[in-house]
Amino acid sequence: MSEAWTPFSYIVVNLAREIRPGEIAFSGVNSTLPMLACLLAKRAYDFHFTYLNVAGGVEPVPRKIPHSSSDPAIVEGSPALFANEDFYDLCARGGLDLVFLGCAQVDGEGRTNVSVIGPWDNPRVRLPGGGGAAVMMPTAGRVATWRTEHSTRTLVEKLDFVTAAGNLQTVVTPIAVFQKRNGRLALESWNPQVTPDEVIERTGFKFDARGARPTAPLAARERDALASLDPHGEFAAETR
Amino acid sequence: MTLVAGLRAAAYGVPFQPVGGVHGSDLARINNWRKIEDPYGSGQEVYVIPAIRPDVAVIHASEVDEQGNARVLGSPFWDHPLTRAAKRVLVTAERIVPSDVLRAQPELTLVPGFMVEAAAIVPRGAWPGSMHPLYEIDYAAVEGYLKDERGALEAHLASAPEASKAS
Repeated sequence: MSEAWTPFSYIVVNLAREIRPGEIAFSGVNSTLPMLACLLAKRAYDFHFTYLNVAGGVEPVPRKIPHSSSDPAIVEGSPALFANEDFYDLCARGGLDLVFLGCAQVDGEGRTNVSVIGPWDNPRVRLPGGGGAAVMMPTAGRVATWRTEHSTRTLVEKLDFVTAAGNLQTVVTPIAVFQKRNGRLALESWNPQVTPDEVIERTGFKFDARGARPTAPLAARERDALASLDPHGEFAAETR
Repeated sequence: MTLVAGLRAAAYGVPFQPVGGVHGSDLARINNWRKIEDPYGSGQEVYVIPAIRPDVAVIHASEVDEQGNARVLGSPFWDHPLTRAAKRVLVTAERIVPSDVLRAQPELTLVPGFMVEAAAIVPRGAWPGSMHPLYEIDYAAVEGYLKDERGALEAHLASAPEASKAS
């Protein structure tokens, strides 16, 4: 009997599962969950990949995991430093295989909004902005995004604003994993704590669910790696 | 990245800078960013970002000498393009060191003194941010600053390291 998923473990582990052997993966600002996913993959999986982060870290071995994914503490142990312009340039010339980019809204084509809710000129909510997403999403090999809220206001038919478009491949929420197939997000797997019908109900865009399966259970090594990264459950408590 | 592109245009002394990506983003429309075709015939269309030339760049350094040569230990983030793009550069630094310290390892100097207009010694000047590895982010101070209540800003300013030193 495997351990039940929490929203926290489901998102972090399913983001980590996107990393493939030999890849160069990058996590940015306001990206605590992908930062943890990259660190988890380092501890739980046997293959090598290169982890870069927005604070300048190159293959960091941090003693303490910071709460902010742009905290220079996440650089610790790096044998090299990568300045801001370095990783953007690397992405632009095709050298980043997997980039984690956040979103407030995502649509069925895998475009994201991190700019504004409501009209641009008269917004209801002004969001933090793309932080380079407009440049990275079309140029990265693959992009993965995540939302801690799976609802018709976050997974939408129509975005209020298109901040970034391009190579978004994966969306992970607490209840489902979507993968882009023929230019549209399709259901890849669902959290066995819900049904595919619930995923459909809580999603604002239409999607193909053919071939979808329940998400593979949390492996012991994934569970242990996550526990080692969050021994006091602080990150888990922040993910509701 | 479009911001770095604009800074680079200014640093390179040209009116605009090509940048990868941006295709499909509404940001191009609201910023009036133009797209040009590769004049060398690859057929690629590339966005060009107008130069951003800041009047002043202020950076916080680990060490500075009397000539304004400034060293940043740890991750440089945007400091390089920023200091090259701005008309004037001001430096705050954790401490002043003799020039010999910088001369011993000139490759660690981020901004040469001839580019620096003025420097001030401000220990813990990055607060509530961090100056790795000297001190970490003061998360409690950041969260206090974010509180939407009367007096939050005043309380934040009063808890700054330079405020307690002045009193």
